[in-house]
Amino acid sequence: MKDDFLNRTFRHWSMWPCLAFLLVLSVYPVLQLVPMALSTIKITGEGTFWTYSPRRNLDLLLGDAVLRDAVVNTLVFVVLSVAIEMVLGFFAALFIACMPRGRNFARTVMILPILLPAVAIGSMWKLMFNYDFGLFNQMVGVIGLDPINWLGDTRWALLSVVIVDVWHWTPFVFLILFASIETLPQDVLEAGRVDGATAWQMISLIILPLLGPALAVAALFRAIVAFKAFDQVYLLTSGGPGTSTELLSLHLNRVFFEQNQLGYGAMLSLTIIAVIVATLAVGKWSASQIERKRMGQ
Amino acid sequence: MKFQFATAFAAASALAFAAAGPAAAQAPFADVGKHPEISILINSSPWFSGFEKAVDLYEKQTGNKVKLDVTPYGGMLEKARNAVRAANSPYDILNLDALWTIEFYEGSFLKPFAEIDQGFALPAGVLTFEDSNYWNAQRRWRTRDGGQLMGYSPNGNIHVLYYRDDLLKQAGLQPPKTWDDVSAICQKLKNPPGMYGFVTRGEKGNPIRYDWTPFLQGAGGSIVKAPQDGDYTVTINSPQAKQALDKYIELQKNCAPPNVGVIGQGDVIQLLATGRAAQGLAVIAAWSTFDDRQKSAVVGKINTAVVPAFAGRNPGVAIGNWVFAVPKNVSAERQRGALAFSRWFLTAGAQRAYAEAGGIPVRSDTFASDLAAKPEFRWMKAYLDSQQFARQELGYAEGAQVEAVLGLRLNQALIGEMSSARALNTAAREIEEIFQRGGRRTGKLDALPE
Repeated sequence: MKDDFLNRTFRHWSMWPCLAFLLVLSVYPVLQLVPMALSTIKITGEGTFWTYSPRRNLDLLLGDAVLRDAVVNTLVFVVLSVAIEMVLGFFAALFIACMPRGRNFARTVMILPILLPAVAIGSMWKLMFNYDFGLFNQMVGVIGLDPINWLGDTRWALLSVVIVDVWHWTPFVFLILFASIETLPQDVLEAGRVDGATAWQMISLIILPLLGPALAVAALFRAIVAFKAFDQVYLLTSGGPGTSTELLSLHLNRVFFEQNQLGYGAMLSLTIIAVIVATLAVGKWSASQIERKRMGQ
Repeated sequence: MKFQFATAFAAASALAFAAAGPAAAQAPFADVGKHPEISILINSSPWFSGFEKAVDLYEKQTGNKVKLDVTPYGGMLEKARNAVRAANSPYDILNLDALWTIEFYEGSFLKPFAEIDQGFALPAGVLTFEDSNYWNAQRRWRTRDGGQLMGYSPNGNIHVLYYRDDLLKQAGLQPPKTWDDVSAICQKLKNPPGMYGFVTRGEKGNPIRYDWTPFLQGAGGSIVKAPQDGDYTVTINSPQAKQALDKYIELQKNCAPPNVGVIGQGDVIQLLATGRAAQGLAVIAAWSTFDDRQKSAVVGKINTAVVPAFAGRNPGVAIGNWVFAVPKNVSAERQRGALAFSRWFLTAGAQRAYAEAGGIPVRSDTFASDLAAKPEFRWMKAYLDSQQFARQELGYAEGAQVEAVLGLRLNQALIGEMSSARALNTAAREIEEIFQRGGRRTGKLDALPE
């Protein structure tokens, strides 16, 4: 009894150093954004001067015409890219898991894009999207169509950026789902086959429900990373043309670093955090509603 | 720095100087004495290789060491900010885009040269690019009038017009003097996608704002009425600015590649260097690429001219220079080392060596020397002729915010998202708000008809 108590107490207290690190390194910087967001900050050689001005930063936020476009673009970018990556990642995982031979090789080739640095990916795709000599327009030319202004036309620019993100991150979804598919209970799958389930029935009624937790984890991770997308988009379009590919992260970079507006930048950061949390919460709630309905059927 | 290269370069320079005649003989390199190693934050721009070679020569001649932190443009501002905000700057010389200097001058992050060495003065003939290296704290303006010397330009980037000399001669055309000439040459020579008639940057942000500025200045327009006198009335929505924007868009639509809205500096240089553009507006620093056999398919075929003008007006030439400055938060010994390098770098000898190595010197006597007559320095005449028209923009604390507004609205006009009048009216409203927040005396012109 006494040993149990000591063990529990030890376990309890031994967590505190980790927790303290977490608080100092993660929570404190986020909390620090709050006073920053309520101030105008000027850094000089004589010191840093804070002026309490919440109204000013709020006015800037409400009057920021680019922010509205950035929020819409980011939501479209996240929904489109994550949805496509989930579908492609799932079918790639399923296909490779069913291969009788060469699975290890296929898996290695599949994950190559996530090993490449974003700068290399940005440069590579910028060349492929080149209007005059890019691979894509050469392919378009082969089928007799006019070249497409992939990065320079507002109708195509965001889609082009999504294509690059899908290429880069589908392997991540694939990896998670491939690992889960390999651990699916074989007896359940076998029972389905014995019962004469078609391929589509196997996927929709057995595999997808069993992969539910893995799908949720993959979608959640991808959504979080997609919300923060910066490097590739910066290299490909810098947010242009116009505001067609301006994402929240790019806009924040402009405000915080290029324009040196630290107070407003902090308010923008908090807003972005709120948008991400709200979107993920809505996503989680929707998923739980779907799951509840499914269980009820 | 590599010893063998430095030795060879020094020998070559010595031979060049022996043959150079009186100009070089009258202005030898400075003996600056022994100093501790200094560190320079420098950007990896097209003119860097010339600067690197000049540094090699400095090390060879003086025995003093220089460490270069070569950084892409995108990382320069934050590195410089971090350096001056720290207890001790890791850099003894910061290379600052002139646009950023206000933040550093106004924040008192830099050491005025007179506080390091009271006797320091810029040699006669050093170009100061509208006094971008002086700061008058009281007036919050860059001027030598009541201002302190805060630095000097290692590179005086201004716009010039690049054109294909061979093609123009074949077609019996004269180098363009007006934007209408540019348009006429474009119509005659263009044959896309193999040959575009005219290229310049259209990418959102600094690229389009900077490359449109010669049009604005040339049309007699301005962004703000008289900021040097404290009058921040926004004038960007003037008829002159609209004329400038309409001409810029017309040229881009008729002569440039279809993806004008995302064309950056690398694209402009690449189009010219691969022989796929007959004319281009770009900074002088791009020159070193065009005569480099490793990088160019048009060696010896490109020439430069002063930026074209609107008929009956003077050309507009936008300055986009850099400023070498010394942070306050380095030791006095290292500050003296930084100044010693500066004294050496600004001598006629060093400037000549810098030019011969592909750099853009900042002493006017270098441009007036025998170098200018040599074919490989054929850009010098246009550069020197341009100086009388060269103007700074955005020389106020709100410059970066104003540039962000213009960089977006001009780009939207270029890609057809809004008319030129609407883009300028929108920009005027947004810029006025920026100045209002900054407590400036401001206002704006009546809106242009949309």
